[in-house]
Amino acid sequence: MNEHEQQQLMDGLRALAALEPLQASPRVEQTLRATFRARAERRRRTIWASTAAGFLAAAAAIAVLFFAPVPWHRNTQAQQAASERPAPGASVPAAQYAVVRTDELASSFYPLPEADDLPPVETTLVVRVQLPVSSLQLMGFSMGEDAGAEPVQAEVLLGQDGLARGVRLIQ
Amino acid sequence: MLESPSQPSDGDLLRLTSAGDEKAFLDFYRRHQGAVFRFALQMSGKAEIAEEVTQDVFMVVMSAPKQFDPRRGSAGAYLYGIARNLVLRCLEREKPYLTVLDDPDNEYSGRLAGEQDIAGEFVQTERIETLRKAVLALPPGYREVVVLCDLHELDYAEAAGVLGCAIGTIRSRLHRARALLMEKLRAVERCAV
Repeated sequence: MNEHEQQQLMDGLRALAALEPLQASPRVEQTLRATFRARAERRRRTIWASTAAGFLAAAAAIAVLFFAPVPWHRNTQAQQAASERPAPGASVPAAQYAVVRTDELASSFYPLPEADDLPPVETTLVVRVQLPVSSLQLMGFSMGEDAGAEPVQAEVLLGQDGLARGVRLIQ
Repeated sequence: MLESPSQPSDGDLLRLTSAGDEKAFLDFYRRHQGAVFRFALQMSGKAEIAEEVTQDVFMVVMSAPKQFDPRRGSAGAYLYGIARNLVLRCLEREKPYLTVLDDPDNEYSGRLAGEQDIAGEFVQTERIETLRKAVLALPPGYREVVVLCDLHELDYAEAAGVLGCAIGTIRSRLHRARALLMEKLRAVERCAV
C-alpha cells in the first residue's frame, strides 16, 4: 500500500465516520424507560416487604422476651402477682420491685406458713415492698419495741404462679 | 461521548441510576446511545441487530450500574466492550442468514445512499458505500479494530482496553485490516474498469 493509497483509504474512512450521526429508534428508549420503571417498582416493593418483615421479626422477638416463661418478668406482672396474695394482714404498697435471677436466690427467705401447700417453685420473682411492722409481726418476725411505726423494706419471693413463698427483711 | 464540565460525569449518572434515578439513566442513555448504535451498526451492517444490541447494552447498565469503574477506563470504552461482545454473539447466531455484501435491503446502505444522494454526490457515495461493504467484509477481529480506531477515533490504548488485548496487537491488526481494505478496494476498481 503506497502513501497515496493509504491517504485515499483514510479519507474514505473519515468520510464514512463523518456521516450524519445515526441514532437508535425512539422505541429503544421507550422500552428501556418502561423496564427501568418496572424494576424500580419491583425494588420499592422488595424494600417495603423487607422492612415489614423486619418489623414483624422484631415484634415477634419482643413478644417472646416478654411472655416466655423465663425467670425474668415485667414489673407490672410482678405487681399484679404480689397483690393477688399479700402476706396476712399486710397491705402491700408495692413501692419497688426488683427482678432477681433464680440462681441468686439463697435460702435467706423466711418461708411463709401458707406456702407449704403450694406447688414447688420452678421460677421465682423477688418483689421489693414496704411493709408495716404489724404485718411482719403477724408473719412471725419478732420486732423490737423500738421498731416504730415506720414501714420496713422487705423482699417477697414469688413463685411461677405469682403466689408468695417467703419474705426477707432488707432494713 | 465527551462530557462537558457543567454536566454530571458518567460515574455520577451511574451512581444516581443505581439509586433508582430514571432521569440520570436516560441522560446517560442519550449521551451514549448514538455511539453504541453506530458501533453495532458498523460491525453488523444490520439496523435491527444494532437496535437489539443497543437495547441490551443499556439493559446491562441498568441491571448493574455499579459495575462501571471510572478508574479502569471511560464509560464509552466500557459500553463498547459490552456492545462488542453482544454484536459478536448476534453475528454468530445469525451467521447463516447474514449476506451483508449483497443485501439490497441493507438498512445501513439505504440510509447512507439516501443521505448522500440528496447531496448529489453520487460518485463519492458509491466510493463510501464500497468502503463500507469492504469494512463489513473484514473478519470480525480486524473489523472491530477499524471501527473503533478509524470510525470512532479511539486511540490504541482505549481500543486495547475495549478488546482486552495489548496495544501492539491493536497496531498490527489495524495495519493488516487497512491492507485488506485496500486489497478489496483495488479489486472493486479492477472490476469497474
